[in-house]
Formats: sequence, C-alpha cells, structure tokens
Amino acid sequence: MLEFKALTKQFKNTVAVKPATFTIPDGQMVGIIGRSGAGKSTLLRMINRLNEPSGGQMLFQGRDITALKGRDLREWRNECAMVFQQFNLVGRLNVLTNVMSGRLFHHNFFSSMAGVFSEKERAFAIRALDRLGMAHVALQQTDTLSGGQMQRVAIARALVQEPRIMLADEPIASLDPLNAKVVMDALRAINQQDGLTVICNLHTLDTARQYCDRIIGMQEGVIVFDGTPKELTDKAAREIYGAEAEDAFSEAMTSTALRPGAQRAQPEVRVVN
Amino acid sequence: MASITTNTPANGSDKDPVSLFESHRRQMIRDRMVVNVTLGVLFIAFLLWSAWISRFTPDRLAAGLPRIMEYFGSVMPSLQWDVLFESRDEAGRFPPGSLGFWYNDFWKYIRLIWETIRMALTATLIGTGLAVILAFLAARNTTPAHWVGVAARRFLEFCRGVPEILFALVLVFAVGIGPLAGVIAIVIHATGALGKLSSEVVENASMRPVDGIKAVGGNWFEQMRYGILPQVMPNYTSYALWRFEINVRASAVVGFVGAGGIGAELSHVISFYSDDRVTAVLILIVLTVTMIDLLSERLRHALIGKESLK
Amino acid sequence: MSTLTFATINEADVSAARKRYPQAFGNPLVRALKIGSWVFIAVYLAWSLHVFEIGKLLNASDRAWQLVSRMVVWQDMATWQYANIYRGIAQTIAMAFLGTLLGTIFALMWAFFAARNTMPVGIIRHAVRRLLDIFRGIDAVVWGLVFVRAVGLGPLAGVLAIWISDMGNLAKLYSEAIENIDRKQVEGVRATGADTGRIIRYGYLPQILPVFISLSLYSFESSTRSATILGLVGAGGIGMIIIERFRAGLFDQVAFVVLNVLVVIAIIDWGSGLIRKRFIGERGH
Ligand SMILES: Nc1ncnc2c1ncn2[C@@H]1O[C@H](COP(=O)(O)OP(=O)(O)OP(=O)(O)O)[C@@H](O)[C@H]1O
Ligand SMILES: [Mg+2]
Repeated sequence: MLEFKALTKQFKNTVAVKPATFTIPDGQMVGIIGRSGAGKSTLLRMINRLNEPSGGQMLFQGRDITALKGRDLREWRNECAMVFQQFNLVGRLNVLTNVMSGRLFHHNFFSSMAGVFSEKERAFAIRALDRLGMAHVALQQTDTLSGGQMQRVAIARALVQEPRIMLADEPIASLDPLNAKVVMDALRAINQQDGLTVICNLHTLDTARQYCDRIIGMQEGVIVFDGTPKELTDKAAREIYGAEAEDAFSEAMTSTALRPGAQRAQPEVRVVN
Repeated sequence: MASITTNTPANGSDKDPVSLFESHRRQMIRDRMVVNVTLGVLFIAFLLWSAWISRFTPDRLAAGLPRIMEYFGSVMPSLQWDVLFESRDEAGRFPPGSLGFWYNDFWKYIRLIWETIRMALTATLIGTGLAVILAFLAARNTTPAHWVGVAARRFLEFCRGVPEILFALVLVFAVGIGPLAGVIAIVIHATGALGKLSSEVVENASMRPVDGIKAVGGNWFEQMRYGILPQVMPNYTSYALWRFEINVRASAVVGFVGAGGIGAELSHVISFYSDDRVTAVLILIVLTVTMIDLLSERLRHALIGKESLK
Repeated sequence: MSTLTFATINEADVSAARKRYPQAFGNPLVRALKIGSWVFIAVYLAWSLHVFEIGKLLNASDRAWQLVSRMVVWQDMATWQYANIYRGIAQTIAMAFLGTLLGTIFALMWAFFAARNTMPVGIIRHAVRRLLDIFRGIDAVVWGLVFVRAVGLGPLAGVLAIWISDMGNLAKLYSEAIENIDRKQVEGVRATGADTGRIIRYGYLPQILPVFISLSLYSFESSTRSATILGLVGAGGIGMIIIERFRAGLFDQVAFVVLNVLVVIAIIDWGSGLIRKRFIGERGH
C-alpha cells in the first residue's frame, strides 16, 4: 500500500503539486490524467524521488519513503521501476545491456564500472525481452530501434528490476496507435499477471478508461477527481481538462482505441468495454 | 526597356524610397567608416606600442637577419656525395661529409626520442583518465554538488592555464632532474585541457539516459558510466589522440628545464655547439612529430568515419 | 506468460537462453581481447612509471612541501619590483602581437601556394606543405632557443620564434580554409560578368576573410601563452623574469607572477572572444 500524506512540490515560483492525500492499494492500475502542466509528471517523479518533495510524506507498506537517503533511496528506486515518455535508454549501448542495467543496483562498484554481467542476468534479461517480444533485437544498438520497440525495451529493463510498483510517465505519448496499444497491453499484463501496482500518466481519456482500475484527475496541482472509470463521466472529464477537453477526448493520434472513424470533430466520449 | 514602377507619391521627395534608401545607405557607410577608422588607429597605436616595448625596430631586424642566415648556414650539415655512405675507418671514425659523421650520435637520439614518445604516451593515458573523472565533476549537468563543480572547473582552468614547461620547472626542483617531472607536468596540463573540453561535451550530452539509470537505482558512478560515458566516448577517444600529438611536442620541450626526453639534448646542442648536430636533432624531432600527427589523424578519421556510418 | 523472478533462473534457463542467443553471452575471444588490452595498458603504465622512477615522488615530499609553503607565504612584498613584472607582461603581449601579425602576413602568401585549388602544380604544393610542416613541427620554444643563439637574448628572438611558428600553423589552416571555399558563390560572381579582381573581391574574400581573422585571433591567444614561456630560454617577455626569480629561490614572487599571467591571459581570451563575436559572428572559425 502506497500512502500519500499532504505531499507537495514547489518549484521556484510555481506550486506543481498542492498537498495531495490519497492511498493506492497493492496491485491496482492507476491512471493519472490532467491537462499539460497539471503536475502529473511531478507527482509521479516524486514517488521514486527523481523530484524531491518539498513537503508531506509518502509511506510504502508503512515505511517512510520521503526520508530515504543514499543506498536506501536507491533501493527504493530499484523497487519502483519507471518507464519514461522518451524511453531514457542509453542509445549507444545494445538492447541487452540496457535491459541488464536494470540490475545495476545489485552490483558492486567494480562489476558495474567494468560492465560485467553474469550469465544468470543475461538469461533473465533475455526472458524479460522475450516476454515483450523483443528478444530478437537483443544485440542491436538501441538507438536504431523504433519508438515502440524502445518503449518495450524500457519496460523489459523495468521488469528485470523486479519492482513492486511500476511508474509510467506518459509511456505512449510518443508512439503511434498500434505501438501504444502494445505497450499499454504489456503494462496491463504486468499488472494483472505479476500483481504489480502500476501508476501511469496518460493524456488520452479513452486509454485511461480502457486500461485502468482507477483514475486520478489533476488540475493545477490539485487532485480534482479520484474514482473508477465508470465514475468519470463526460462532465467530470470536461472539468478536469477545461479548455483542452476537446483535444483530450479526440486525440486519436496516440490513443490506444485504434478506431479508424475517430476524428477531432466528434467530441463524444467513447466508452470502451 | 523594362522599368520598375514604385507606388511613391510623386511630390513627397523625402518619402521617396530611393532617396530614403540612399540616405540610409550613406549613414551606414559613414558609421562603418567611423568604426573602421577608429579600429585602424587603435591597431596602429597598438602596433607602435608593441614595437616600442619589445624593441622590435626595422634596423634591429635588419641587423638580425644576416646573423640568422649565418647561423642557419653554420648548422647545416656539410655533406659530400663521394663519402656520403662511407662507413667507419680503421680508427672507428666516420669521414667528415658522410651521413654517419653527421648522425654520429644517431642511436642516442633515437633512444631519447623513444623516451620522449613514451613520456607523451604515459602522460596521455593518465591525463585522459583523470580528465574523464574531473569532467564529470566539473560539468554543470553532472556535478554531484554545486561547490564540487565550481572547484573542479577552477582547478581545470588552473591546470590548463599554466604551460607544461612551467610545471616542469617547478617539478624538477621538487622531484629532481629526469623524465618523471616531465611526465607529471604534462599530465597536469593535459588533464586541464582535456578536462575542460570533455566537460563541455558532457554538458551537451542528453540527460535522459542518466535519468533512466537513476530510476533503476544506480548511483552517481553508474549514472556516469552508463548514462553519459557511452554518449561521449567517441569524442573522448578523438580528443585523447589529438592530445597525444600535442603531448609529443610538449615532451620534446620539457627537457629544456631538465625534465627528460630529447629536449635536454636539443637544448644542449643548441646552446653549446652551433654545428650540424643542431639540424640532426631538429630533423629527427620534426620527423617524429609529423609521423605521429599523420598516424593519429588516420586513426581519428577512422574512428569518426566509423561513427558516421552507424 | 508466467511471472518471472531472478531467483528462479537456473542452469537450464541459462543454457536454453544460450542456445537461442549465443552471441548474447559474449564472444570469449572478444572478451579476452578486451581484458587483454586493459591489462596491457595497466602493465605498460606500471612499467613506464617504474622506468621513470615514480619512487622519487616519495622522497620529494620535503622539497615539494618547502616549495609550496614558500609559494603561498608572500614575504617582503614591497621589494618585488612590480614595474619589471608588468613591463615583462606587456612585452609578452607585444611579442605575441607582433609575431602573430607578421606570421599572419606571411602565412597569407604561403597559404595560396599550399592550397589545392590555388596551386595546381603538385610539386610546389607538396614542397611548400613540407616546409610548413617544419615550421609547425618545431615548437615555438625551440625556435626561441635557436633565435637566441642567432640574434642574442631578448624579445627580438621571441618575436621571430612566434612569427615563424604562427606562420607555419596559420598557413596550414588558411590553406584548408581556401580549399573549403564554396565554388558556387564564386560562380555566382563570375556569372555577373565580373573581372578577376572583382571575382576575388566579391567571390573569395567574403568567404575566407572572416575565417582568416578568426584563425588569427585564436592564434594570438595561443601565442600569448607560448610567449610567456619563451623567456625561459631567454627570448624575452615575462618568462625571463619567472626563471630569474625561480633560480633565485623567490618562489612567492614566481607564484605572484604566474597568477598575474593567468589573469592577463584570461582577459585576452575574453577580449578576443568579444572581437570574434562582434565582427565575425559565431560562424567564422
Ligand atoms: N524543473 C522544474 N522547474 C520549475 N518548474 C517546473 C519544473 N518541472 C515542472 N515545473 C512546473 O511544474 C508544473 C507541473 O509540471 P508537470 O511537468 O508535472 O506537468 P504535467 O502534468 O506532467 O504536464 P505534461 O502533460 O505537459 O507533461 C508546470 O507548471 C511546470 O512548469
Ligand atoms: Mg509530464
């Protein structure tokens, strides 16, 4: 269980996340939605402390996450893997090494500096790649892959961390619809088969509705909606998105709905499933 | 004939675009003239001041030129074709005018040049290693703490600012005459120069992979090793090779203050004999430096070529 | 698909993965080569440091400490003859300026003989290039020593040394700039019916002039650096003061002089950067 107690983040002159209090039980798949600049990324990056919270507390299984330092902090980051919008892989290394880098936390200084990975790690990384259908490119240089392939490699890297939570910051925002579907399906599978908590920033409503157990809506740093996809009515969604509602409803480019008929001119909410 | 029509009111001469343009143009030319004349005057003044302070006058130059000619005449080898390839006589001497006579100390020079190259190679290896670490500390985007970055940058600037031979002078005093002082001097300067360049490369590298490694729980060293190093490695290699070329030149000179290599011999033959030994050593140095330049240039191009193919 | 944990990976999984993706487990030859080259570098470094008597460092701590402590504690500052110091620095800058200027002028001539597109005769081009290699291949300090022998101690030797080494460097860089010229712009000027003079004035000069000026400014910067050490061999400038006072054991004064030189060099770099930006724009160099 991941508990947030009045967690806040203030940058120099903007409050990106205003005191947020909520709880995420284990094994839930949560989608965070909201317009650009609402503070979704900031909230997510605070969970694994890529952004330092400026106030409040986070507890995981009762343990205070906000106070972690040094090796404990890195251990926590290892426990909650992150998938980025821009994949954040090391383009000049091959796919396998990128995936194996998910196990760096378990290495000592010398083996990690020398880049020595064990056979077990190699087999494990190949299995993880295989699970995402990417084992065949294991030895290719990573920056030669397509965006969708890179994101699957990034998920494989996250998997070899053996995390308890998986964070995903707009994992499909740079992908075409087909790849977006593949990636979201993979995240959902991880959530359902491995029982991982998945927290995912999304910017298309239909994706959030289709894949998530629970949707959190943010507006200017405040959580304005927290409920099931069913509870997220058309009206509620309009409130979250404000003036950008039309875009969010119909952004067929990166949505996972794969409907040839979807057009910007049809702002009605599509209920999937 | 073609004509260009404008939509100018015929009466308003001050609004006529042509005359407007002309006056604007004249103004610009005047402005530029002022700037150019000022610069010219400044330049001439600086030139005269320079000539005065360094006592560099045409008559001194004119007096110096014949002496330079005379000197270069005296250090040229006097080779004679008929004995050019003659070997040692019964007394074990080369006849004057032969190559052997000119390069009597050939093997000594070769030994010293070999030492010079080794000094440069050792210094380049150590300097590159130190520069890689310092570059990560100095680059604004990767420095572990603000004050570490500032300190590292100042340190690199100091190392880069002081020439090798000055470090060598001081180090010869501290560790004694010999190549060790030279190697350390070159290491310090090369670390500064390479570190500065490398930190600029690091500052231009993408931080996304670093975030990625951070997110898997990697520490600072792992973030650098996996996030940045693969991005900057091709640049580093080519800088290191280029630095090796420079270090060879430097290690040929640090001997002037007693810090090993061919420099001591060169300084000795120039200061004590003005004969063909000067050219003998100089030619060997030029050959070495040129050969190493060519080799390293080849290697660098091969590396860059490989990169661009990828 | 079943959940996958690292702990449950066993020998069978490893060998299955190895069977399917043998290369993923590394080529032993490549690995041996990699390790071998690192070992080679390490052994070379150890050996060469041994030959260079690294052990001397251990015995050096006394003298080094003495040196450093006398460098940081500045004594009798009233007797330091500041006028001499600053005249020396001024002379250094003057030497660098004159040397670079003369080097630039002469490099202009050489460059056209060394560039492929302005000197079609291969023999002459190669001869000029080899000659330039000699000018460049010998360090300015060595030229300094040579000229000190020829014309005596003093800044004249220094100016000559900078002149000749800058000439070699600049001529090479200039000739590369001439070779990299954009033919299309020249064709464009020629197409307007311009004569040779105008083709050079409007076709060539606008392309190469900014590059030349920028290169010369860079060269001036690096010449100020080399001018500071020319004095070590007696070729004038601040280096003469540095070595005199160093030999006399006045380490505090040496430290002071070097600090001053660093500041002056930083100022010159900054100023020349300004000029480059102001008159040439970022593109030239
Ligand atoms: N490093 C930073 N420094 C200063 N302000 C920041 C920084 N990062 C984010 N912000 C600000 O915090 C607010 C929230 O940003 P955040 O990136 O979390 O929004 P978001 O919901 O992820 O938007 P998007 O959908 O565009 O990614 C914005 O106003 C942003 O300008
Ligand atoms: Mg975001």
